[in-house]
Amino acid sequence: MGSAKDIVEHCGVPRFVFSDFPLGNSAGKPNNRASQQQTLALALELFATAQEPRTTIQSPQRWSDDDQWKDEFYSIAKLSDDELAKRRAEFDQIKAVGQSVRDQTR
Amino acid sequence: MTTAPLPYMQRMREYYLALGYNNPYQWAHFAGVPFQPLRKSVSQSNLGLVTTAAPFKPDAGDQGPGAPYNAAAKFYRVYAANASKDDFLGISHVSYDRNYSTAEDINSYFPLQALRQAQSQGLVGSLAPRYYGLPTNRSQATTQDQDCTELLAMLQEDEVDLAILVAN
Repeated sequence: MGSAKDIVEHCGVPRFVFSDFPLGNSAGKPNNRASQQQTLALALELFATAQEPRTTIQSPQRWSDDDQWKDEFYSIAKLSDDELAKRRAEFDQIKAVGQSVRDQTR
Repeated sequence: MTTAPLPYMQRMREYYLALGYNNPYQWAHFAGVPFQPLRKSVSQSNLGLVTTAAPFKPDAGDQGPGAPYNAAAKFYRVYAANASKDDFLGISHVSYDRNYSTAEDINSYFPLQALRQAQSQGLVGSLAPRYYGLPTNRSQATTQDQDCTELLAMLQEDEVDLAILVAN
């Protein structure tokens, strides 16, 4: 179950339930039990019906009437040079922390 | 009118190039993908839930809803935990869409509750006694050779028939 269609299909998986939602909601909309149950139902259906690898079912659910989130996610369109430099510095820091955690892991 | 799915690979490549990193990530790609037809119905199968969400890590800062990206919360080894409990699991260590998702409802990224409901309705045979956590490691070699190997051993140990991986 996921929401990054291109990444998952580029990799190739046996069966894929694609929800066209902002990342972080692969199992359904927050605080919406019906959405979550319907999303899981698609996964269970896919187990039963898929005939071959790389089978994708797209959830019919829409996140909202507004697809603005698709334009905005990690978009560089409105970032100034200063903002880009700031994010570069932040990401360098994040990488350092992540590597430290990895190196301390058994 | 619905728009096309967001092209994440292109979007992320452009973003990190703009930041000055000249080593674009090469996402995994497989020409051959395995496929195992079911040997028994879903309603007779044992289901296992695999997540990329992270258990709470003491002294690692804010890991809950609304937390900024938190590399200290990352985990690098597969884990398994009791599926009859309601543990905290967070996604502060992944780049989900923080402008449109708050991660306030664990059920939006970890569908254990929905699976329990499905089981009570007889839609699945049983739930595995554990759920399983898979690291999000940039290294594909580590993911395949170490993490997937360890994950598979746990799934087999618990006699899981069908595994659902929920990526975030």
